[in-house]
Amino acid sequence: MIRFDYQEPTTLKKAFGLMEKHGEDARVIAGGTSLIIMLRQRLLMPKVVISLGRIPKLERITYKAKDGLRIGAGARHRDIELSPAVKTHYPLLHETFRKVAQPRIRNMGTVGGNLAAGDPLTDPGASLIALDADVTLTSSKGKRTVPLDEFFIDYYETALAPAELLTEIHVPPSQRPGWSHIKFTPRSIEDFATVGVALTLKANNGVCEDIRIGLNAVASTIVHARKAEEVLRGKPITDAALQELGEVASTECDPTDDNRGSAEYKREMVKVLVRRAAKEALQRAG
Amino acid sequence: MKQTIRVTINGRLYQEEVEPRILLAHFLRETIGLTGTHVGCVIGECGACSILLDGKVVKSCLHFAVQADGHELTTIEGLAKDGELNPVQEAFVKNYAFQCGYCTPGMIMTSQALLQRNPNPTEEEIRKSLAGNLCMCTGYVQIVDAVKEAAKGMKNG
Repeated sequence: MIRFDYQEPTTLKKAFGLMEKHGEDARVIAGGTSLIIMLRQRLLMPKVVISLGRIPKLERITYKAKDGLRIGAGARHRDIELSPAVKTHYPLLHETFRKVAQPRIRNMGTVGGNLAAGDPLTDPGASLIALDADVTLTSSKGKRTVPLDEFFIDYYETALAPAELLTEIHVPPSQRPGWSHIKFTPRSIEDFATVGVALTLKANNGVCEDIRIGLNAVASTIVHARKAEEVLRGKPITDAALQELGEVASTECDPTDDNRGSAEYKREMVKVLVRRAAKEALQRAG
Repeated sequence: MKQTIRVTINGRLYQEEVEPRILLAHFLRETIGLTGTHVGCVIGECGACSILLDGKVVKSCLHFAVQADGHELTTIEGLAKDGELNPVQEAFVKNYAFQCGYCTPGMIMTSQALLQRNPNPTEEEIRKSLAGNLCMCTGYVQIVDAVKEAAKGMKNG
């Protein structure tokens, strides 16, 4: 392991001070499940590691009926999975976080760290996009709010500016009662997805009033499948419409060949799984 | 530069000087001398280094020792009491739930955490919970049997 200086600021203000002082020489650590691997592989070689572990209240999860859910960036995957408010009001999130890696990783990794890492393979971003989430980015100059589907820029690249931290995730009250989450893992259950689909749907008499789709592991970022949504929004949900939904979603993906499947296979699976997810969401939408 | 940390391990408080880059798994083995925690892949894949941190199971290879300052750890050495194996350890012995034994400490710590939270798991829950622990001898059937038996023993005891 490389040598570095380790800092544990006890307030966000002190953390920003350290980030501004050390600039590119510093990396932030929260749960550590992603950063430590990158340090070991020497993909990152910071001179200073700034831990967010001693900053109080960063892990809080609160729910209010009007405002929705607010998840502190320091909340661990496991805390979100086991949160009664999440289970009651956001079953899609409960289901998603239950499927991230396995309990040891969920006990360590934080949701803020997950999103800020900008890794398109991971599950939370797709489901949070399907639920219209936005993120609060904070620096010494103040706060700004960014819709999550505008936060992901490219592989490991996000809208975060230097010396800025993702501090909170906001999920508004759920607008669409139907939901589905499909994490397709042909190798083993704790693996990254070959294709991940998160979908929410509102229907009335067989007509789709609204739909939102997040996809992971199918492109250089987590994908908000806007064109596919347009296919179904306002239209009767027929087999032909669902077929088209999957096909259009597939055109919004740009997967790569890897040991979880070929690009061609993943594109085909997007068609199948988006269709299947929409059917399941429709059943749940009642 | 070394930093001073205070950690409680298996009920005993330790104060040690560590370099920030030292992983918790290596700290336990080399600084404290508790070699029951095994180091396998060191990239969070194999689960051999699983321990309990404040009662929750974590991988000690994805954690710096300095991050554990002020926290409570339990390792495989902390399970037996007064020379008596705990029910999970007992069940592993009875069911021949190890071959080479390298993955065993991680398997037992994970099972222990599962049974503390859910004393009556289904086979599926056991298998899902152990999904991040690899046994290169592939002796999974006996391991799952052992966890089932430990659950029964805990209920009756």
